[in-house]
Amino acid sequence: METHHFHFKTRRHNYPQVVCANHRVTTSKSNVNPSVLRLHNYGNPTADLAKERAVSADETKRPSTGKFGRFGGKFVPETLISCLEQLEVVFHQVLQDPEFQEELSTALNDYVGRETPLYYAERLTAHYKAQNMGRGPDIYIKREDLAHCGAHKMNNALAQAMIAKRMGLTAVVAATGAGQHGVATASACAKLGLSCTIFMSAADMEKQPSNVDLMTLLGAKVEPTAGNFKDASSESIRVWAGKLGEVYYLAGAAVGPHPCPTMVREFQSVIGRETRRQAAEKWGRTPDAVVACVGSGSNALGIFHEFVGDRTVRLIGVEAAGFGLNSGRHAATLAAGEVGVYHGAMSYLLQDEEGNIICPHSIGVGLEYPGVAPELSFLKESGRMEFYSATDKEAVDAYIRVARLEGIIPALEASHGFAYLEKLCPTLPDGAKIVVSCSGRGDKDATTVSKYLSL
Amino acid sequence: MAIAAAAAATSPTTARTTATLSPPPPISSSSSYSSAQLNFGLPKSTARPRTTAGLSISCTMTRDAAAAVAVTEKDDSDPALWSRPDAFGRFGKFGGKYVPETLMYALTELESAFNSIRNDPDFQAELGGILKDYVGRETPLYFAERLTDHYRRPNGEGPHIYLKREDLNHTGAHKINNAIGQVLLAKRLGKKRIIAETGAGQHGVATATVCARFGLECIIYMGAQDMERQALNVFRMRLLGAEVRGVHSGTATLKDATSEAIRDWVTNVESTHYILGSVAGPHPYPMMVREFHKVIGEETRRQAMEKWGGKPDVLVACVGGGSNAMGLFEDFVKDKDVRLIGVEAAGFGLDSGKHAATLTKGEVGVLHGAMSYLLQDDDGQIIEPHSISAGLDYPGVGPEHSFLKDKGRAEYYCVTDEEALEAFKRVSRLEGIIPALETSHALAYLEKLCPTLPDGTKVVLNCSGRGDKDVQTAIKYLKL
Repeated sequence: METHHFHFKTRRHNYPQVVCANHRVTTSKSNVNPSVLRLHNYGNPTADLAKERAVSADETKRPSTGKFGRFGGKFVPETLISCLEQLEVVFHQVLQDPEFQEELSTALNDYVGRETPLYYAERLTAHYKAQNMGRGPDIYIKREDLAHCGAHKMNNALAQAMIAKRMGLTAVVAATGAGQHGVATASACAKLGLSCTIFMSAADMEKQPSNVDLMTLLGAKVEPTAGNFKDASSESIRVWAGKLGEVYYLAGAAVGPHPCPTMVREFQSVIGRETRRQAAEKWGRTPDAVVACVGSGSNALGIFHEFVGDRTVRLIGVEAAGFGLNSGRHAATLAAGEVGVYHGAMSYLLQDEEGNIICPHSIGVGLEYPGVAPELSFLKESGRMEFYSATDKEAVDAYIRVARLEGIIPALEASHGFAYLEKLCPTLPDGAKIVVSCSGRGDKDATTVSKYLSL
Repeated sequence: MAIAAAAAATSPTTARTTATLSPPPPISSSSSYSSAQLNFGLPKSTARPRTTAGLSISCTMTRDAAAAVAVTEKDDSDPALWSRPDAFGRFGKFGGKYVPETLMYALTELESAFNSIRNDPDFQAELGGILKDYVGRETPLYFAERLTDHYRRPNGEGPHIYLKREDLNHTGAHKINNAIGQVLLAKRLGKKRIIAETGAGQHGVATATVCARFGLECIIYMGAQDMERQALNVFRMRLLGAEVRGVHSGTATLKDATSEAIRDWVTNVESTHYILGSVAGPHPYPMMVREFHKVIGEETRRQAMEKWGGKPDVLVACVGGGSNAMGLFEDFVKDKDVRLIGVEAAGFGLDSGKHAATLTKGEVGVLHGAMSYLLQDDDGQIIEPHSISAGLDYPGVGPEHSFLKDKGRAEYYCVTDEEALEAFKRVSRLEGIIPALETSHALAYLEKLCPTLPDGTKVVLNCSGRGDKDVQTAIKYLKL
C-alpha cells in the first residue's frame, strides 16, 4: 500500500507526519481522507487542567469529536461516523436513565461481585519498611482480581452488553489480545443471551489457550486472525462496519474512535469511585499515590479518572519494558512512542521511522498493545500523570513476591504495577498511603511463569 | 445411681451416649467406679446447653454395637434441640474422636481454643475484617434469570433460582473461609507449622494462600497420582511458598494423603496445626469447619430477606466431604420449613461401582477419626471412589451429614459425571458463570428438582467454586 505523508498545521502546532497506512481508509476514494481533516477543535493543551477536565466533561454531553486536548478524535471512514454518533447518543441516554443505572448496579453487585475490597497489604508494607529502617508507605491493594472472570474487564463488558441489548441488537463482536476482554465479553453475552464472536490473533491464541477454552465454553465463537492484536482489532471493526445495525462492537480498551475511549473509561471509573470512598473510610482522606499498570489504559483510567482533579494524588502508570526500553522489544508506548493516529484515534503509539506499527512485546500479554488511550496521552502531556516501566524480569519477580508475601497471585499485567513499588517505596515518606490496582488475578499466567523460571 | 449422678454432674449429655465403639469400657450402673474415673478428660461444658425437659438420668452404656439410645420423642423432632455435636463430638451415633492417644490432647486443646474464640470480639473482628478485605465477602446472592427461565414450565410457572456466589471468593472456592479461620486459630495457639491434605489441590491452594498471608511454614500432602493430574495446582502451591509432599502409599490419592497428614500431625503435634479441609475427621474438626463456613448460610438468610422478604424454600449444595453444604445449611437446620438437599457424585453410575455416593451406597464405619457413612467393601477396606470432579472424590462424608440423613432432616441424591458435565456447559452458556465440576453436580440436580417445585419456590444453590480449573477436562469430555 502506498504511503503518503501529511503535514498539517493548526492554530498552534505542527503535527508529526502520520502515515496514511495507519488509518482505516478502506472506503475512501482518494488518499486524502476527508475525515482526517476533522481535526478542528483541538483544545488548548496548555490551558488550566480543571478547565480541560470541564471541557472534556462537557464534550461528553453532546455528540462531539471526543478530544482530550489534541488526542482522541474519530479517524474513521465515513460509514462508521453515523454509527459512532448513534452509539454516543445511546451512551448518554443510558447515563441519564435511572432504570439502566439500577439494572447495571444490581448486575455489578450480584453478578460481578462489586464492590471489590481495598485491602491493606500488611506483609508487603512490612517488606518495604524493613528495607528502609522501618519507614515506608502503607500499601493498599484495590482487588479487581476478585471481580467475576478475574479482571476489571468485566465492568465495561457488562455495561456495554447491556447497551447492545437496549439497542435491540442480538449479536456482539469484539477483539481480544490476552483474552481477558474476550472472556468478559463472552460471559456478559451469555448472561444477556446475545450471540458473541471474538476475534483473536492465532499467535495470541497460542499464548493464552486457557482463555480460548473459556470463551468457547461460554458459547462464544472465537475467530482466529493473522498477526497480533492490532489485526484482530481491525478485523472486528471491519466486520462491524459490514453489519452495522445488526452487530454491536464491544470495545475493551479505552482506545479507538470516540465515543469508545470515553465509554470504556466511564464504565471502568467505578473502580476509582469506590477507592475514594473506601480510602475515606479507612484513613479519612484521598490516597497519596495511585499505581496502575498501563497496556491500553482501561484499568489505569478506571482508577485514575476519579482523582484527576485532586492534585495531591499522584497518578503513576507503569508500562511494559519487555526486554528493556533499549532492546526494541517492549510495549512502553508513553515512554518511547510518538504521536500518531491508530485505530481511529490520535494518541501515542509505537511506530518506526516509516510509520509502521512496531510489534510490541511483554510477558504480560494484556500490555502488548502498541498504542495507548488518548486520554492517558493527554494526561501525560499535561504532566498530570507520571509513567514508568518495568521489564519482564521485574514483573515476574513481583508476581512471586506478592504471591509469597500476601497469598495473592496477581496477573502478570498487574505485576508490572507491583514491580514499580521497588523503586517507588524508598522515595516515599513514612505512612504515605499508596493504592496499587491489582487489575487481575494471575492463575492464567502460572504456566508462563513456570516456563520463564525454568529457562 | 451415684455413678450416673456423677456423670450428669460432669456433663449432662454423657447419660445419652452410646459408648459402644471407643474406650471407655461399658459400665453398668451397679459398678463402683468413682466419678474421677468416669471423667474422660473432657473439657467442662463444651456441649450446647440442652433444654431436655425432665432430664432422666438413664445411663445407657452397653456392650452391644449400635444399640438404640432411649430417646424421648419430643426431643427428637425439633432440630433446634439436637446436639450438634455433643460433648464427645457425636452427632447422634456419628462423629467422635477415633484417633491415637497422642492426638487426644491436641484435639482437646484445639477445641478449647476454638470455644474461646467463638465469643471473643477481637478475634471475630479480625476474622471479619480479613473475610471482607482479603477474601472478598460478603459474596452475592445472585438471581439466575436465564437459568430460571430455562426451568420455567410451558404454563409460565417455575421456581426462582438464586446462586450463592462462593466462586467469587479469593482463590475461587468456599475453602478459604475455613482456611482463614483455622490459620488465625493456629496463630493463637502459637503454632508455626501448618500441614494439610489435598485431593484436587483447591484446599491445598487455599491453605498455602493463608500461610503466605500470615507467614507460616506450610506443608501440603498430596497423592502422587493427584499431583500428576493437577500439576498446575502443584505449581501454584509452590509459588505461594508451600512445600508439596507426594504420597505414594495406597492408591496415591486423597485418602492416602489424609492418612499421611494425620501421621505427620501425630509426630509433630506440639509445633504443628493440621488444617483439615472439610467437615470430616475427628472432633472438633467437623464442628469447627462448619462454624467457619456457616457465614455462607448467615449471609444467605440476610440477603434473602432483603431480596424477597422471606427465607429460601430449598437449599441445594454438592457434597464431597460436605463443608460447603454444611456452610449453607447450618443456619437453616432449625428452620423445618427449609428443605436441605445434598447432591453427591454418582460417577459412572451407582451400579458401576465407580462413584462417590457415600450417603446413598455407603455403610457406617470409621474413617479418618470419625464414625460416618463410607464406601467400604465386605472386608471393610475403603473402596476407591470415582468422580470426574476431584473434590467430590472422597470415600467418606462428614458425620453431620450422616446424622442429618438418618434424621431425615436433609435429603441426599446423586448425579453422574455426564449429568454434571451437561450442567457445567448449561450454566456457562446461560449465565456466563463457569461453575466448578463439583458445583455442577448440584446444578445438574436442578433438572430433576425444578419440575417438582411449585411456582415461585425460592431455591438457593451454593455455587461453591469456579470452574476455570476444570476447563481442560470439560472440553475434552464435551468435545467442544
